[in-house]
Amino acid sequence: MTRSLAVALNALGLYAIALVLAAAFAAQLLLGELPCPLCLLQRIQFALLAIGPILNVRFGPRPSHYAASLLVAAAGAAFAMRQILLHIMPGDPGYGSALLGYHYYTWAFFGFAVAIVATAVMLLFDRQFEDDGGTPPDMAGAFARTAVWLVIGLTAANVISTLLECGLAACPADPVAYELLKGMR
Amino acid sequence: MEFTALFLAVTVVLLAAWLGARTLALALFAVTLVACVATYLHHASDVLKLSF
Repeated sequence: MTRSLAVALNALGLYAIALVLAAAFAAQLLLGELPCPLCLLQRIQFALLAIGPILNVRFGPRPSHYAASLLVAAAGAAFAMRQILLHIMPGDPGYGSALLGYHYYTWAFFGFAVAIVATAVMLLFDRQFEDDGGTPPDMAGAFARTAVWLVIGLTAANVISTLLECGLAACPADPVAYELLKGMR
Repeated sequence: MEFTALFLAVTVVLLAAWLGARTLALALFAVTLVACVATYLHHASDVLKLSF
């Protein structure tokens, strides 16, 4: 795998992360499903997952960049598994609505598992790490730059939505309204 | 409030990765990841209200 192909695949990974963050926003804004604290923590891990691909696009692929994303994916999978286990008892309806039979935290676990496998597969290809001797080329084309700013924009939008949801106090365990907007009424 | 701060921290980390120095981005990333795990452990130690 050449460096440029690896960078292109990393950009695709950024689009996948942006898709997950956008889908979470869609559930929140269109379906009115406010994320619980553990749900927010999983969303934060999805955003932080972008650190590896962004560094790979900017500085070229390095194992340490992939390792950073692997650590985040492992943490995210653990957080999602915790929420799955909280609702494992028979008869427990789970938190929020289900999508295709699975709750969002179960989908999040699948997402982090896919990220771990995809990152491990990328690490199999050594040629992407070979230095060609020259100065690092500007690998970030418009496709990759758009992906980076999309993820950064969606993460910044989450700062605002979480501030509206939680206000300036601790986030409620089972949020039903935007705390900051309640205070303004 | 802590989740707003974490999202803000992640935004700063991603901006540092894209616009700043690599070492700074990795250092900020490490701090943010530790903060995420600490937040998780703090909430995981809450008493669960089970109904069975």
